[in-house]
Amino acid sequence: MISVSPTTANAQALDLANLTEAQTALEIKDLNLYYGSKQALFDVSMKIPKGQVTAFIGPSGCGKSTLLRCINRMNDLVDICRIEGQIDLHGTNIYGRSVDVAALRRRVGMVFQRPNPFPKSIYENVVYGLRLQGIKDRRVLDEAVERSLRGAALWDEVKDRLHDNAFGLSGGQQQRLVIARAIAIEPEVLLLDEPTSALDPISTLVIEELINELKSKYTVVIVTHNMQQAARVSDQTAFMYMGELIEYADTNTLFTTPSLKKTEDYITGRYG
Amino acid sequence: MDNMNLNKHISGQFNTELESVRNQVLVMGGLVEQQMNDVIDAVHAQDKEVAKRVVERDRKVNSLEVSIDEECTRIIAKRQPAASDLRLVIAIIKTIADLERIGDEAKQVAHMVIDNANKTQPPLVSIEHMGRNVVKMLHDSLDAFARMDVEAAIKIHASDIKVNREYESVVRELMTFMMEDPRSIPNVLKVLWAARAMERVGDRCKNICEYIIYFVKGKDVRHIDSNEMESLLK
Repeated sequence: MISVSPTTANAQALDLANLTEAQTALEIKDLNLYYGSKQALFDVSMKIPKGQVTAFIGPSGCGKSTLLRCINRMNDLVDICRIEGQIDLHGTNIYGRSVDVAALRRRVGMVFQRPNPFPKSIYENVVYGLRLQGIKDRRVLDEAVERSLRGAALWDEVKDRLHDNAFGLSGGQQQRLVIARAIAIEPEVLLLDEPTSALDPISTLVIEELINELKSKYTVVIVTHNMQQAARVSDQTAFMYMGELIEYADTNTLFTTPSLKKTEDYITGRYG
Repeated sequence: MDNMNLNKHISGQFNTELESVRNQVLVMGGLVEQQMNDVIDAVHAQDKEVAKRVVERDRKVNSLEVSIDEECTRIIAKRQPAASDLRLVIAIIKTIADLERIGDEAKQVAHMVIDNANKTQPPLVSIEHMGRNVVKMLHDSLDAFARMDVEAAIKIHASDIKVNREYESVVRELMTFMMEDPRSIPNVLKVLWAARAMERVGDRCKNICEYIIYFVKGKDVRHIDSNEMESLLK
């Protein structure tokens, strides 16, 4: 008789607790975060695997965006914010003393909820980061624009009007433009903070498809309110509640057989 | 039911939809159980009329399957159920497929009664006895489904082996009849098929128990032996 192992579906799932160093892009260790006297994150520890999509889900105010912002030190901009613990990006602590925050943000790109293109041409939007790095060679810039726009699945739609103002694009196109801008500087990690919440369903699907392609080159971390989206695009999902990481597992498991009741109640739309 | 938490959704309408589809499964289960009971009474009494009624009523079982299936499709399309809700909908879809097939088996036994009435035939005591056991198994399975009771499901799952043994002994008995009087073979074969149908009902009850375990535990226990099952459910 052929024995059918019931766990075959999850055979490829990573053992998230025991990722090797080579598999890990980010390691968050005992992270506590305070806004003034209010604690927003409680002892968060997790390993985020390289070249995969990791989603953070949870109700409003659970700390998922705060956690995402910690990964490229966006919370440094908040005066009253205090952080304990550390986050290792490919083995080095990004909260170390010698870390250049601007350099860190080149390695960890971010895309926000609302598309925020600059009031410039499509071309200038994409090369903005490269110009900041002092790159002037036209050929290098041209090449980067095509590569990034192709990477963001926008090239075919805008290749004939690269010098038009970016505000003339639709919301979905603007969001893809912002993603192109983020990947133009070839980051290692891409943070997406509810990237499709302002978009229509079709643009959303285009972005989701894009996320799936992006993971071959980048480690993607996404915060989303849309649970079906997390289920569709991510390889692993972390459920957060009241500043704590409640459950972190591969997406297939979390959405079919979560191990904790809190997770179950949230993803099935129940009140506790 | 308590362990199903069906009434705890933020969306009251979702609660109602799940509750209603679950109730329909119980209605369908009740009907199928009645079909089995009636057909075994028909076997016992050689009652063609009862058997005919069973054949007639099978249509109702079929239409219930279709309408519950539709309801489940609607729920998946509109609510995108996850986790235990998703497992419930999947368990329901699979359970009603098995219930419908149990209905078909009842119909088949009914046909045997109709065809064999007024003919010389082998004593049907052992097949009737087997039938009563199978009906008990079906009753218990539906009961376990209504309460989503894993412990009961595991017990019923294990009891299928008794039905299988009984089937084997019925087969041996019927073979003796055929050897003693070859002219009885056509009739005996029909009885044999009826016995086979009842044995299949036992298997289908076993399937339903597997869906109950899947819903509650989230573990797929099909096609594994009892030892493996035990270690999986720990």
